[in-house]
Amino acid sequence: MIKNQFGFVLFSVLFAAINVSAAKPSQAVKKQTPAGAIPPIENLTFADMPYDVGGTALLKWDVRPTDNPDVMYQIYVSSLETGGWIKADEFPADTRTGKDIELPFWAWNASVKEHVVKVELPNYFGEARTTGPVFNFKVVTIKDKKSFDSGIVSGKTASNWFRLDRLNNLLLLVTIITVFFWAVSHAKRKGLFIRRIAGLDAIDEALGRATEMGKPVYYVPGIGGMSGISTIASTFILGEVSKKVAQYDTQIKVPHYDPIVMTVCKEVVKQSFLEAGRPDSYRDDINQFISQDQFSYAASVDGMISREKPAAIFFMGYFMAESLLLAEVGATSGAIQIAGTDQESQLPFFFTACDYTLIGEELYAAGAYLSKEPMLMSALKVQDFGKLVVMVSVFFGIILVAVGARLHWDPFVQVILNLFGAY
Amino acid sequence: MKLIKKYIPLAIVFTFGVLTLASYYVPHKVSVDYTELVSQWENIVYAFAFLLGLISLFYSHYNKIARKADGWGYSIFVFVGFLAMVIPAYISGGKQGSETGITLLGWSFRYIYNALSSTMFAVLAFYIVSTAYRSFRIKSKQAFVLFVAAFILILGKVPLGQIIWDSVLGWTKCGVSDVIEWIMSVPAVAGKRGIMIGISIGAIVTSFKIIFGIEKQYLGKD
Repeated sequence: MIKNQFGFVLFSVLFAAINVSAAKPSQAVKKQTPAGAIPPIENLTFADMPYDVGGTALLKWDVRPTDNPDVMYQIYVSSLETGGWIKADEFPADTRTGKDIELPFWAWNASVKEHVVKVELPNYFGEARTTGPVFNFKVVTIKDKKSFDSGIVSGKTASNWFRLDRLNNLLLLVTIITVFFWAVSHAKRKGLFIRRIAGLDAIDEALGRATEMGKPVYYVPGIGGMSGISTIASTFILGEVSKKVAQYDTQIKVPHYDPIVMTVCKEVVKQSFLEAGRPDSYRDDINQFISQDQFSYAASVDGMISREKPAAIFFMGYFMAESLLLAEVGATSGAIQIAGTDQESQLPFFFTACDYTLIGEELYAAGAYLSKEPMLMSALKVQDFGKLVVMVSVFFGIILVAVGARLHWDPFVQVILNLFGAY
Repeated sequence: MKLIKKYIPLAIVFTFGVLTLASYYVPHKVSVDYTELVSQWENIVYAFAFLLGLISLFYSHYNKIARKADGWGYSIFVFVGFLAMVIPAYISGGKQGSETGITLLGWSFRYIYNALSSTMFAVLAFYIVSTAYRSFRIKSKQAFVLFVAAFILILGKVPLGQIIWDSVLGWTKCGVSDVIEWIMSVPAVAGKRGIMIGISIGAIVTSFKIIFGIEKQYLGKD
């Protein structure tokens, strides 16, 4: 009897064990996605786009083995708690990873193991409504016209206080400022050697000629506004030129395109005449507003040059198409012409039509060069330091990137490119 | 007096210079709003400055007419031109077009202003020819290099030049378009970038000189 009961229990246990072991594969079969179907995204997360003004959301989820060009992802966004979905983006499943976000290595983990998608909310909800309210997002996976929704994630975007991606730029700025103050303090102690700039040395010659001939000097500050660095540099040069003009007791005329530049130049010229000890020679009509239209300005200045035949003409500042119109008329009138602009597209015209041309940074150096003031001249050393940094960076950058590319050190090359990149 | 004419303006320049510089590194909405506000102020200052410019222009030309200075007749056209645009603008309410066609301002703009501007721009073509002639006078090694580069570019841009190139230098298997592409993308870009780097550094240093008050000539007399 006992033997029979033991046999029954043993049979029952074995039967139960067989059932349990058989049940496991059967449950797995129940959970398995049907053939051709894609499991929905389970680890979708929301993040605020870092280092921006706000309004941009980042959606992240892991790259899956099923991601291939035949599978599409659609991004939906909603500003309401329920419904109201707007399609924000659509892309193949094998694209858009963390590596596609253009941020440097110190500010962003460029992982290829997760999808990262930027959603620019102002494009759908307007600029004013995107920072503050909560937005809902979902990702829909599409394959063979079948769609599989992810769960909904929510979040709000915020304005950030620091562009960590521009840290390289900030460090360079701090370095240049340090060198700037070092150079200024160094200039106070002893003088600096500055190479000769032929175009600026010719200013005395040009003004002397004007004095001998009894003809006026024209100073054309271009068509830039006062916010342009080249125009600011031009006003510094005007100060030095007008000081010499006052010393030689000759005439100067400054035709203007911009009324604000005219107002500043009036003060500059007045100050120069005062410093030269000739305040009585200063007249208000030295600086004259002409026109705020490019070709009207060129036509008017051309007319003045043709009629008055000045002995010397200076073109310093920002010039565009009128550069040749002015310089060619000046050359025809027989004047000594000295030009300087930071517009490299206009430099060839000045080269061919003028006697001397200041190239690029020489325009910025001119004011300091002419004034001979140690504090201002020291800034030229900072320019030289900047050029040295650029030359060294270019030289070693080329070598390191070339070697890295040759040896397939992709992360190393990326680090070098990030260090010198602009963001 | 020195406080008002020197120290306060320098403090304003320093403050706004540093804030504007900082706005490049601070993406916050406060920074964006600040930039927009400064831009609006600039527009307001500009409007007043334009009025000053206009007064200066009229005053200068009125004096020329009154004194019968050389070329005073041209000064009359300043006032004629001004009235020829301002009166139609006033009549048309500042609109160039209406449902029935162009307004009086539109007419003035199209048939006076545009015609004069186009004429002036067209003169550029003649000046380019005379400048090109001047630049082709080889006075130095650099001028020779400029001449050769320009000559190849001119040759490659006209069909006849391409035919000449192919018949004379066709055996080199190097087309004139390839040479032009190389000139434009290698030596020209190299020179341009060199100038651009120098300009950028110069602009940065000039900005520092102004922000930190090293350069203050623009303030005028003390």
